[in-house]
Order: sequence, then structure tokens, then C-alpha cells
Amino acid sequence: MAKEPVAVTVDRVTRIYKNVKGRADVVAVNEASFVVSPGELVTLLGPSGCGKTTTLRMIAGFDLPTKGAIRIGGEDVSSLPPNKRDTATVFQSYGLFPHMNVAENVAYGLRIRKVSKAETEERVKRALALTGLSDLADRSPGRLSGGQQQRVALSRSLVVEPGVLLLDEPLSNLDALLREQMRVEIRRIQKSLGITAVYVTHDRVEAMSLSDRVIVMKDGRIRQVGSPSAIYEQPDSVFVAGFVGKVAFFPVDVQGVDDGSCACAIRGKTVRAGSHAPAVAVGKPAVLMARPESLRLGPPEQGVVDGTVRQNVYLGSSVESFVTTEYGELLVQIDDPAGKRVAAEGERVSVSFNEDRVRVLPAAAE
Amino acid sequence: MFTKDKLLRFLLVLAVFVVADAWIYSTIRTSLRADAASNRSASLGLLAKSAPENPDLREDWLMSVSETLPGGAAVYLVPAEDDPEVYERFATDEEALALWQSLESSEDAVKGLESAYYFENYASPVKATLSNTPVRLFYAPITDDSQGELLGIAVFMAPETADPGIERLLGIFAVGAFILFAALSGISRFSRDSTVGYAVLTLAGLGIVFIIFPLFEAFRLSFTDGARFSLATWAGALSGAHLKALWGSIRLGMWTATTSTIVGFLFAFVIYRTTARGKKFLSAIAQLPVISPPFSLTLSIILLAGNNGLITKQLLGLDNFSIYGLGGLVLVQTIGMFPIAYLTLAGVLQGLDATLEEAALDMNASRWQVFRSVTLPLAVPGILSAWLLVFTNSLADFANPLLLAGNYRVLSVEAYIQVTGRNDLGGGAALSLLLLLPTLTAFFIQRNWVSKRSYVTVTGKPNLKLVEIASPPVKAAMTVGVWLIVAFTLSLYGTIVAGCFVKNWGIDYSFTLANIGEALSRGKDAIRSTLTLAAVATPIAGIIAMASAMIFVRKSFVGKKALEAVMMMPFAVPGTLLGIAYILAFNKAPILIVGTGAIIVINYIVRELPVGIEGGVASLRQIDPSIEEAARDLGADEGMVFRSIVLPLVRPAFISSMSYTFVRSMTAVSAVIFLISARWYHMTVLIYNFSENIRFGLASVLATTLIIIVMSAFGLMRLLVRDTGAFDKTISR
Repeated sequence: MAKEPVAVTVDRVTRIYKNVKGRADVVAVNEASFVVSPGELVTLLGPSGCGKTTTLRMIAGFDLPTKGAIRIGGEDVSSLPPNKRDTATVFQSYGLFPHMNVAENVAYGLRIRKVSKAETEERVKRALALTGLSDLADRSPGRLSGGQQQRVALSRSLVVEPGVLLLDEPLSNLDALLREQMRVEIRRIQKSLGITAVYVTHDRVEAMSLSDRVIVMKDGRIRQVGSPSAIYEQPDSVFVAGFVGKVAFFPVDVQGVDDGSCACAIRGKTVRAGSHAPAVAVGKPAVLMARPESLRLGPPEQGVVDGTVRQNVYLGSSVESFVTTEYGELLVQIDDPAGKRVAAEGERVSVSFNEDRVRVLPAAAE
Repeated sequence: MFTKDKLLRFLLVLAVFVVADAWIYSTIRTSLRADAASNRSASLGLLAKSAPENPDLREDWLMSVSETLPGGAAVYLVPAEDDPEVYERFATDEEALALWQSLESSEDAVKGLESAYYFENYASPVKATLSNTPVRLFYAPITDDSQGELLGIAVFMAPETADPGIERLLGIFAVGAFILFAALSGISRFSRDSTVGYAVLTLAGLGIVFIIFPLFEAFRLSFTDGARFSLATWAGALSGAHLKALWGSIRLGMWTATTSTIVGFLFAFVIYRTTARGKKFLSAIAQLPVISPPFSLTLSIILLAGNNGLITKQLLGLDNFSIYGLGGLVLVQTIGMFPIAYLTLAGVLQGLDATLEEAALDMNASRWQVFRSVTLPLAVPGILSAWLLVFTNSLADFANPLLLAGNYRVLSVEAYIQVTGRNDLGGGAALSLLLLLPTLTAFFIQRNWVSKRSYVTVTGKPNLKLVEIASPPVKAAMTVGVWLIVAFTLSLYGTIVAGCFVKNWGIDYSFTLANIGEALSRGKDAIRSTLTLAAVATPIAGIIAMASAMIFVRKSFVGKKALEAVMMMPFAVPGTLLGIAYILAFNKAPILIVGTGAIIVINYIVRELPVGIEGGVASLRQIDPSIEEAARDLGADEGMVFRSIVLPLVRPAFISSMSYTFVRSMTAVSAVIFLISARWYHMTVLIYNFSENIRFGLASVLATTLIIIVMSAFGLMRLLVRDTGAFDKTISR
């Protein structure tokens, strides 16, 4: 299964579903453009209805762009049917052929490609070994667990050595523990084969832990593209900041912006935030975002804002403290709580943050 | 996908095709016309030879020419004795003479006369007009018998002739070729997977040619008299006697629907809502009449209760009892059609959540109160639905009234008599169209109104526990009733079997095997052709049904709704109408197939498709579309996806649609009776013929044979569909 990885280019792709029976047109994907480099795993992340699955289906060929082009390895495939594209999809519901056993399922694509019998057998064996299914070759898919079915689907897609592997929420039907396991496994296989992959999910943890890069989508538009850490630490909008992790927002007046930091006033005090989104400018409405891990609790009137501890949730390695303030309920994460004093529920506290670690964003318009 | 470039190229190709098509069309037309012209030359030459030498007979001859050439005429020219260039003219037609006088000095006329003078025929290329008819002049010499001397010259003014029928046909083919070419090349150019396009096109073609077109022809013919629009046929159809037959059909339908629904409910209730024994057996018996051939129940009723019936005459000695008429029909139809009601109501009673009845009992309602206030109201939509279905079936029924109606008139038989007895196709078409009115009304009420008010709850959990809401005496009464009906049904079948071995029913009950030999030898051709036709239709109908189901469920295209409606139409159209429509539409060019086996096979396929498609659609809806997408994604094209994925997954629906088609084709009668020929006969019609001729023994043997064939087919299907539960779990989403 060694094949030169290819790039996928989505070039200003728009998909409009025409109004059906008097309903308005739906713009499922709006001018989306991105490039997946050869061998890279890119995740499309967003809430349901954001257009991520539609985008994936257009790459696979199940759906056609209304406008724009899709190129795989430099070739424009926009109007090719799925069976003429060098892609293989792992479906959310697996789509296993119930009338074939595991080995037959995996061999299907090779049968279509008229690969010789001996080679088919060899490749099926290797694909099953790769996903740890060697013992189950004769089973019918109906008698497999969800995780095993998932592996069959993955083997079936990999065995045809596709240029691009497409994964459509492949783990959403699995329980939490299995999901974590498969996440690691999919990443391992993808890396070992060096295959180009596009992964669709609405689960931010999945996206963060799997991807080389994450594309955050909302309402058919791409909101931000970047590495998992960039998306988490340097979101460019309130939406992205909120979607990829827990976050607290404070409205601020921007006083000055330079290359890195950003001076702004919050409750009359000036703070120097460590970074800011490109769209932030003096005079424009802005907010300051702080992740729970960059927030701290202190005695009343010594922080940015005062509040009351409503509830503490003990998680072992940390404690999550929910503090009611005039900015709403803020989540403060206290790491390594052993030996630290944790404010009791009902206690008055102040919340402050590490200025280097907070970021200023344009206030939400949407 | 559409791009300007592609569209332009497509239009260019179309233009090239149009030019070629038009060129071929005009070439063939020219040669047809040339052919017709040379034929005419020959015949006009012969006509000239028939000209008399005797001057006294000239007028008679000229008159006869006018008759031979409708709209034409001739002028008889005799050269003057002194000057051969001057001719004396004779004509009976003033206008012909005037026309000739206006032309005679033209260059063309001179040429024509000169040719004739030298004993040669001359067809003038110049067009002329004789009393508003376009004509051409034709010059032929008139000679004496030895052909040595020129007596005169005949100038014929013959109207343009060309067979308009053939030219129209040629036109149809030229236009048809263009439409077909445009559609095919359009699909292959603009669709991503042309297989689907071709399939849709084929299906649409099938629907238009074999459903819409014949029905339209029946409709058109009922409104025309000769070639003109006329309401005469409808005036006849709406006359008193026929209206009485319409009312007769409706009355019969209402009676049968009511009794069948009651019996069907009784069966369904006993089987699904009580703990009675022998449920499997009861259920099997309740479905038996569905697959039993037409005429068989009627036949056995006649054997038992007819004019010379075993019970009425031999046992009870009744003389003035007659089973023929409304009462007998309701009885026979009820036995034949209560299974429809049963199957509908079984689904309903099975689907009703027993918890609701439990809840009512829990609130201290009595069992009767539970039945009245919970079970019955919940089943009302199902009951209505069953009633309407039986009503539709009763109206379309043809076989039972044909044998058993006596003086009672129903429309389907009336239409048949109109066609076969009075040879009045238009009248038959009108009558069967009349039948469509109540049938379609009932069908649409059932489809669009009642079926949407169903309370059946699909919880996915089968009702494991059963709440007995019938008190023991009620339950006992119902059980007895059900078993009595079962016994009666079985005795009807027993009678048919007994009929095989009786010498002369009603007169001589001695045992004989002679019937079997005679029936099989006289019926062997019919058996063979019935089996052949059904066997040919079965796989075709099965494949088309599954392919259509896949297209209807999984594909979207312009006009899908319309195509679905067209394909479903034969379900609501009475067989009598479809049969009459077929002989009307296909006994002429361009599709002349009346009398062939093909027309019967096509009729079977078209009539049984709706049920097959519905089964396929229901089955496909249960299957996760990503299974097919996965196959496509792995490189399979549409055809491969259909063969390797869809067909195996819908196998139960596929097999049951095929066995349904087979059984229905084996037991067809209402449409097929119009379409059979000496070469392609049908067993059911032979059974009818034997019964009509009071050869009950022979009829019984054939009916029994048919029952055996049909039951074996059903048994085979059961065997094939069994054990498919294994993957049902994984294919549902």
C-alpha cells in the first residue's frame, strides 16, 4: 500500500440546494477553498449543518458543486462520478455489504478493479492484518461489534490504495472508550501509509487529536484554517474560540494594537493581552478571550472581576470552578489541585488572568 | 454537467442528425412516390388499353374512368382524318374539357401528344387543378387490338396519389428516430452516469407506449365516430341498460366490500387478538383464495348450487332456486376477496400497540368497552382501507360475473359483450372507461386519504404479549364462525377436485378418469402457452420492478413524480379496460402486435409492475444508502451497484415480486381474454369455455392443474425467501 500521495484542492466551491416546494434555496457550502497537501490529514470541523459533510461528499463525488472546482492530484474531477475518482470513503454508518463476509467486503473494490485472485487475497490479508481483523475474515458484518465494523470499513477503503481517504464522522457511532482507541489507530494507519486524508467531525477533541490541520466551518463558510494548536490558542473569531474549547469572554475597549500584543481597557483597567486577531482595531467592538487554564482565582477585589463560586467539579488532575460574575458564569481551571487551597462553594472570589495567554477578538457579529 | 461548450456541440450533433434524418426521409418518400407514380403509369396505360374502338361506347368508357379515378377524369382525343395534328375532343366532364382546352396548346401538352402519337405513355410533370383537386396529366395512346394503329389518345387527369398511411408512418419513424437520438445522446453527454439516464428513458418509454398510449387510444376512440369527434358512443354507453350495469357493479362492490371486510376482520381478530389455536393454518387458508385461479370458485359454486347443483338439486331437490345473480356473486366474491381485507386488517391489528388496550383495562374498562372505545376506533382507517380495496377489486372483477351473473348486469362483463358479441370496440372502451370512475375514486380515497390516517405505530418492538379482550363466549363464537368459513372454502376446493373424477356432474356421478386425459390433451397447447408467457414475463417484470424501485428511491430527476404515477396507474385500471385499450392501440402500425405472444407478455408486465415496484421501494427504503455509495465509491458503476449490491439486498422483494407476477399471469383473465389468439391461448379462458359448454369435468381438471402449478410456484418462492433474516439487522439504518 505504498502509493505517491496526492493533493486535494477545493477551489471556491459553492453548493446550493435549489428550493424545493417553495422553500428558499439553501447554501450548504459557500465559496469554500482549501488545499490538502499530499500525506496530510485535514479535519473539517463544525456544528451540524455547517457544510462539512457536503464538502466531503463533493470531494468523493456523491454531490456536485454548483460552482467551483475540485482537483485531486492536479486533475479536475468536479464532474466525475464517484466510481471514477481516486477516493475511498469510510462512512458514518459504515455501509458494509450485509450479504458478504468481511473478506468479501474488503475484496469488493479489488474485484471491481479486476485485480487477480492471488493478489486480491494477498492484499485483503494485509489490509485485515493492518486493522487487526485477521481472525474475523469469514464473519458476516452483522455479527461484528461496532468497532469491528468500523475497522472493516477502514480496511475496505484502504485496500484499494486510494489517492485520498475520506472519513465521514467515522467514530460517531462508537462508545467513548472505543472512540478514543480508534482515533489513535486511524491516525497511526494514516501516518504509516502516508495517505492524504480528509476527516469530517463535529467533535473538537477528535479534530484536535487527529489532525495536521483543522478547518473550522460554520453556515457553509470556512471560518479558520490552522494547526490544532493555532485553532485553539489563536482563534480569529468568537465562534471558533467557543467551538474548539471552553472559553470566557470579557468585553473590552481596544486602545492600541501592535504586531503582537494589544492594549485594551477592561473595567477601567488597562491590560496588555498577549495576542489579538487580525481584525481587531481601535474603536471597533472587541472581546478578550481566556481559556479556563489561563484564569486564576484570588481574594475579592484583587482581580479583573469579582464573583461567587457556584460549584466546584473535582476531576483529579484539576478542579473546574464555576464562578458567577457580572460577565456570566466563568469556568476557571485549577491544575494540580492537591495541596492548593480551592475556594469553597459560595465563597466570594476575584477572577484574573494571565495577560500573556489571553487574546483579543472582534466582538461576535453573528 | 451543462457548459456552453457542451451544449453547443450537442446542438451541432443534433443539427447534423436532423439533416441526415430529413435526407433519408425525403429519399425514401421520393422513391415511394416514384414507385407509386410508376404503378400509376402502368395502371393508367392499362386503362387506356381498355378504351373501346367503337365510338358509341366512348362515353361509357369515360364515365367508368371517372369512377376508377375518384376526383379525376379523362379526355378522349381522336386525330382528325385530314390533319393528324388536330384532335377531336370527347369528354363527359365539362371541367375536364375546359381544363384540357386551357392546356392543349402548352409546350408540355404538345410533348405529351407527340409521345402518345408514337405509342408511348407520357406522365406530365406539370401540376394542374381539376375542380379544386390537384391532378397530373397522363397521356396514353389508344390502339386497336393489334396495337398497330392509333385510334386516339387518352388524356387522364389523375389526382396525386401516394399512400398517405405509409407516408405518415415514415414520418412517425423519422420524428421518432430524432427524438430517440436526441434523448440518448443528450443523456450520454450531460449525465454523469448514463446508465441511470438510459434506465429512466426506457421506463418512460415503456410507460408512454404501453400505458399512456393505449389508454389514450381507448379514450379517443370512445369520442370518435369514424374519424370525427362524436359523442354517439358515449350516448350509447350512458343509456339506461348500461347505467343499470354501472349501478349493478357499484351495488355488487358495496355488498362484497362490506361482507369481505367483516369476514376479513373476523379472521384478523381471531388470529391476532385471541389465543385461538391453529393460527398458522387459519392464516394460510385465509390467503388461499388470493392465488386461486379465476372461475375456480365460481365453478365449484355452480357445481354445488347451480341449476343442476349437488346440494340444491340432488340433495335438496329445489327447482326454482338460482345461484345466478347478486347473491351468488356476493358469496363467491367474498370468499375470493376477503383475504385482501384480512391482509390489510392483519397488518393493522398487529401494529396496534397492545399497551393501549392494557391501559384501558387498567382503567377498569370492560372488555367490550375496550374493544368499542380503543381497538375499533384505532382500526377504523384500516377497516376503511380494506373496504375500499375490496370495492375496487370487486368492480374490476370479470371472471366471476362472467359465469355467475345470470341476468344481473355488471359493467366489466357488459364491456366484454360489447366488444366480443357486438364487435363494438368503441362502446366497450366507453363502458370500461365508465368503470374507471368509481374504481379511481375509491383508489384515490384509499391512497391519499385513508392510508394517511393510519394509527399503526411502528415502535420496532413486536407485540409479544397479547391482551385478550374477547370474553370466552364471544371468542368461541368467533372461532366457530372462522372455522365454518374455512370449512366452506375448503369444501369449494374439494368440489373442484371431485369434479375432475365425475363423469357428468348433475346427471351421472360415476367415477371416471377420462376427464383428465381429455382435458390435458385438449388443453395441452393452452397449458404450454400459458406457462411460456408467464415464465417469460416473470423475470422481466421482476428486474424492471427492482430497477424502477432503485430509480424511484435513490435517484432524483425531472418528472420523477409523473413517471411514478404513470407506472402505478395499471394498479387502478380495471383489466377489462387495459385489455380493450391494448387491442385498440396495437392492432395497427407502428406497433402491430395484436395476436402475438408479446402483447400478452407486455400486458402481464405492465399490470403487475406496480406491486413489484411497491415491494422493491419498501425494501430499499430499509436499506442504508451508504451501502450503495460505498460500492460506487469503490469503483462500481450503476449497473454493477445494481447487480452486486441492490439486487442481492432486495432479494426477498425481488423473488416475491416475481412469484406474484407469475401467479397473476397464470391466473389472468380480464385483460388477457381480449388478447389471446389461436396460437397464444390461456388456460383460464379454456376453463371458461369448458364451463360455458357445461363440460364441468374438463373445467375442473384444468382448474385443478392451474391451482397445482400456482401453489408449487408459491412453495418454491417460500423456500427461496426463507433464511434471509440473517442480514436484515445490518441493512437497516
